[in-house]
Amino acid sequence: MPTSTPEALNTLGAGLILISAFAMVATRQVQGVVRFFVLQSLLLAASSFLLGYDRNSVHLWTLGGITIAAKVVAIPWVLRRLLPGDFYERREISQAINIPASLLLALLLAVASEFLTGPLVMATRDPVVRVNLPIGLAGVLIGAYSLIARREAIPQLIGILAMENGAFFAGIAIAPELPIIAELAVAMDVILIAVVVGLLTRNIRQTLGTTEAGALSELKEDPLAWR
Amino acid sequence: MIETITYNTFQVLFVVAFAPLYAGVLSRLKEMVQSKRGPSIFQPYWDIWKLFHKDEVVSEETTSIFRVTPYLAFVMPIFVTILIPVLTDYPLAFAFMGDMLAGGFFLGLAGFFAALAAVDTGNPYGPMGASRTRMVGFLAEPVFMIVFFTVSFVAQSTIPYIVQQKWVASVGAFFSPAHILLLIAFLMLILAEGGKIPVDNPSGHFELAMIDESKGLEFSGRGAALMKWGGQMKFLVLTCIFLNVLVAPWGLAHGQFIVDVLAAVPLILFKVFLFTLVLVAIESSLAKLRLFRISEFLGAAFIISVAAMVSSIFPGA
Amino acid sequence: MALIAILAIPLLAALLCWVRPLRRVAWGITVASAGTVFALGAYVSVEVIASKRVVGAPGWFEADGLSVLMLVLVSFVLALASVFAGGYMRHGEHKGNRLWWFYSNYNLLSFALLAVPSLAEVNLVWVAVELITLFSVLLVGFENTSSALEAAWKFAVLTIMGAPIALFGFFTLFWAYRSATGGSWETWEGLRTAASSMDPNLLKLSFLLVFVGFGAKSGLAPMHTWLPDAHSQAPTPVCAVLSGVKTTVPLYVILRFLSIVLASPAARLGNWMVVLGLISVGIAAFLLLQVRDYKRMFAYSTVEHMGVILTAAGLATQASDFGAVSQMLNHAVTKSLCFYVAGVILLVLSTREIQSVRGLFRISPFAGSMLVLCSLAIAGAPPFPIFLSEFSILSAGMRIGQYTVVAILGTLIVIAFVAIMLHVNGMVFGKPTAPRLTEALPASCRFAVLVAAAPVVLLGVYIPAPVHDLLQLAAQQLGGR
Repeated sequence: MPTSTPEALNTLGAGLILISAFAMVATRQVQGVVRFFVLQSLLLAASSFLLGYDRNSVHLWTLGGITIAAKVVAIPWVLRRLLPGDFYERREISQAINIPASLLLALLLAVASEFLTGPLVMATRDPVVRVNLPIGLAGVLIGAYSLIARREAIPQLIGILAMENGAFFAGIAIAPELPIIAELAVAMDVILIAVVVGLLTRNIRQTLGTTEAGALSELKEDPLAWR
Repeated sequence: MIETITYNTFQVLFVVAFAPLYAGVLSRLKEMVQSKRGPSIFQPYWDIWKLFHKDEVVSEETTSIFRVTPYLAFVMPIFVTILIPVLTDYPLAFAFMGDMLAGGFFLGLAGFFAALAAVDTGNPYGPMGASRTRMVGFLAEPVFMIVFFTVSFVAQSTIPYIVQQKWVASVGAFFSPAHILLLIAFLMLILAEGGKIPVDNPSGHFELAMIDESKGLEFSGRGAALMKWGGQMKFLVLTCIFLNVLVAPWGLAHGQFIVDVLAAVPLILFKVFLFTLVLVAIESSLAKLRLFRISEFLGAAFIISVAAMVSSIFPGA
Repeated sequence: MALIAILAIPLLAALLCWVRPLRRVAWGITVASAGTVFALGAYVSVEVIASKRVVGAPGWFEADGLSVLMLVLVSFVLALASVFAGGYMRHGEHKGNRLWWFYSNYNLLSFALLAVPSLAEVNLVWVAVELITLFSVLLVGFENTSSALEAAWKFAVLTIMGAPIALFGFFTLFWAYRSATGGSWETWEGLRTAASSMDPNLLKLSFLLVFVGFGAKSGLAPMHTWLPDAHSQAPTPVCAVLSGVKTTVPLYVILRFLSIVLASPAARLGNWMVVLGLISVGIAAFLLLQVRDYKRMFAYSTVEHMGVILTAAGLATQASDFGAVSQMLNHAVTKSLCFYVAGVILLVLSTREIQSVRGLFRISPFAGSMLVLCSLAIAGAPPFPIFLSEFSILSAGMRIGQYTVVAILGTLIVIAFVAIMLHVNGMVFGKPTAPRLTEALPASCRFAVLVAAAPVVLLGVYIPAPVHDLLQLAAQQLGGR
């Protein structure tokens, strides 16, 4: 059980991060997905600040600051600049799997991640690791799932970034002394991912007139057409 | 022994007396948020009093179920009140006669008879509303079950008083992901069972869209008064379960004297009032969901409650 | 010092290409920078052969045998591809005024590709691999046709999806490293020495995560589905770079991880690697039978060779490690040649379909003969270098008694060989579908093809001593000795 107040609040943050991951799977609006992503990043930064305060680690404070600068401020701004407004007014009416089934799958992934990290969690004594590691892995898996299940371009991009959030949430517990250079570089990389995918989306929209990037399926092998 | 029975009676009287006030405050605040004046907060009392003084008109096609239902709807929440902590945080005389599952059964019994009564009259709107209510009910069942199981598993007991003592014992337990997720799931559940937005519009008059209100359509006079009052008591009971068992034991009387119990009354009312503010915020900012989206809403509640269960079963959280 | 220069020069070239007055000579800038980098790479490799490692900035940029091998490979392919690009891009239907963007991107991609082997700090390697992906996405989607954009999108999503998974793996590795040694700046060397004291569960988990994450970028099955699309739709010089080196670089990172895991006596992963490698080879071999587009054919053969390298590394003996690194070298050199030839065919005939290309030999003898040469080379026929490296892998397997593995691998290689030769036969001989080519091919393209063919022909019969030493050194690094 968590022993100090920052650790307890960190567990609260973990629960809310899990809920925001579910919400990203369940939302229909593109704008809603972006908002939940921003919420998740804020929670991640808050967790980082809490743990930094608790363990007197400058690394964690800077990581929280970097997260806010990159994911809460920079990425939505970049996306707004690159993509015109009507990208955000889209609603994804039909997904590959309907929403209640998607939520059930996401739940299964969360349970699976608890199982997968079970042996590791058993071996450690740090209460923060015990919370962050499973939920971080769950964030990664649920992000990957939402990436697969969605068809619109922006929710797919947000799925990738949500996976990064999950990896970082586990990282602040298991690798808190990561060199600052690495953290900065990762933050810049995340912004670059947003830029590149945003550019690509814009080009797709200009060329094909649609943003349902996931529906592209021209290039395929035809197994019956040999010779 | 005499004291605990007295306190139990106090609890019942508290719920019976203040349920209409709760409903009145809620509707007044909702109207104020919309920049209207709103009805007086005592309006539900006047409504009930008025209805008691009117004649009852009962269709000839109905059976005894129709006549019995209002009394059941009124009495069942009272039974549940006996089992849950409303004013005190130590178990009272009848506390061990039934646990939370029993409370669920009582409320379910009332709902079942209300649905039957709605079908009984032969009016087209009745069965329509009844079937919708049952749909919401069965979608909410798994959530209820999982919430109860999780809460009981953590507290190692199913008696609400014991649960409440264990759950909010330490800061760590309070902020654990399981607890927060349970709170959110149960809140969504209350909104569904109580017929509030986003599941149902309690102030709507359009019969085709009614879910929960439709159970009271056919009743008149005393029957209508009892149905209304029973519905308001049910919602207050659910709120008390939520606030006193799951959220925090603030305001509950700790001492054994009558003074403490009486002092708890305004404190609990204040706590309920704070919750009313939250409820008003939720109701005013969301829109009513389309019928088939209710399954997604309750599906999300289910997922959250299972996540709570999982994170409380696995070690470390 | 030279290491830092190797990284700084392409970055500088990329910036220069943005400068307005210099945009017209963007190609020249690119070729100059790529040539210089290759020369510097050769110089560094000589140093490494002499003194086993080269240090640019301690803790940040270091190079040992394996990384220098990668540097030399990467710079060679980049240099030739930039030469080829001149003629190809000018000849194609590209508007001249966007070319500077292409070259600038190309230089940035070069920077990222060169950074991965030169970096010693392990976490920055992740960032460099991500940069590779991002810049190649921009290059793949350069021609704004719908199929190019679809390929770029699939490529982007599938490979970037691997990134957070690999990041998780890196974090886990850091956790293991820190609990074992307490330090926080990990280099490959440091990891190797600490390997035996690190928790084997964590090591295995981190390797698995990095394998899944970076395996997607290397085109290992079952995460290879983006590869044929991306490698066929990109502009040809980019394809050469992608297939030749860009898939090998994440595999290099995976192999580094593998050598760390193998250094810890408690974790056993060799068999899994062999199985996964064989799966890649198998899927590629069967898909090669049904392919309809010749650039996709070469792309599938990349998947096959990545699988062979993985299998060889999984066998984990000295001989098979040597086979693995020589396969990396030979594949890079041969595959880039294949794509240059494919680019030439595309220039001549403007179609990618195998069915539409017939009698290539009559249409353009140069293209036809080169196609026969390179496809024999890539399929693994003697006297070409890939035959040598595959043979050494197979014989290493026989020597340690893994007969089943050798049998399966041999059969799959033969199936792939048959598939490629069937397609190429149809393309080169027969009644021509187009009149004989009258105008000459661009000089830079021909030059690039001939220069690329030289090592392919040479290495099959004679491995010069410095190259052999480099390979030995790299194999030792891989095996952890």
